[in-house]
Amino acid sequence: MESLRSPNRVEQADAMKSLGEILIKGLRVALGGRPDVSESHLEDFAQDGLLRVLDKLDQFQGRSLFTTWAQSVTLNTAFAELRRKRWRDVSLDALIEQGEHLAEPSTLPDDALGAGEDQSRVVGALRKAIAEELTPKQRAAILAELGGMPFDQVCSLLDTSRNAGYKLLHDARRALKRHLEEAGIKGSDIQTAFTS
Amino acid sequence: MNPERPKLSPAQVSEFLRQIAHTRDHEVDCGTCIEFIGEFAEKKLTGCELDTALASIEHHLSLCPECTEEYLALKKILEAAR
Repeated sequence: MESLRSPNRVEQADAMKSLGEILIKGLRVALGGRPDVSESHLEDFAQDGLLRVLDKLDQFQGRSLFTTWAQSVTLNTAFAELRRKRWRDVSLDALIEQGEHLAEPSTLPDDALGAGEDQSRVVGALRKAIAEELTPKQRAAILAELGGMPFDQVCSLLDTSRNAGYKLLHDARRALKRHLEEAGIKGSDIQTAFTS
Repeated sequence: MNPERPKLSPAQVSEFLRQIAHTRDHEVDCGTCIEFIGEFAEKKLTGCELDTALASIEHHLSLCPECTEEYLALKKILEAAR
């Protein structure tokens, strides 16, 4: 790692080359074989990852091996790019418009968890909580994520960072949980009765 | 995601409720998760006990598909290098 900071250009170039080889080897293991990833993509991801690692060198705290940290930074960069490409045609207007349907029976039907009085009661309470507690952005983000849209892309469309986006969803989940609990539906009840 | 008329499947509703049930008042965000993910992956691989900070990373992973995707890829790399 120190060689990457070396004032000696030759030593620094050698260190960058070695790290670049480690990164592309890891990317081949992690992403090789995916239909949307070619060898040329892997080389681009390794190069982008290397630049990001160099940019963030001061943030490395030594809590893991340096190469593990560098691989995690590179994977973060690569996945962000892959997710961006996959969902680039969806618009913010479409996202918000769809989110407005989240509290409707057409999106969240009474029998969404199966037929039964208890299940219908939970779904009904959830719809009410969504309608009363959430903002349009929160509804849009939840529906998009449940629909499979990568969170990076949701955040990009909402023009927010991934951390701020996570907080948006976290605040929404907390509000829904509180609302359900006030309606007599506890988290432990949901887990045991309605999830597999 | 259906661009015309969204309708959640039972699996999606169950997942939504699971996320709500797992919600804590204080959670780490994706940035913190990425910061600690290398240490977390190494400790999981070697079976080391997780401290409180890393336990909060494990909780975040249970709620964040993107961070989980990146963690699983990193785990694959570390396993291949063993």
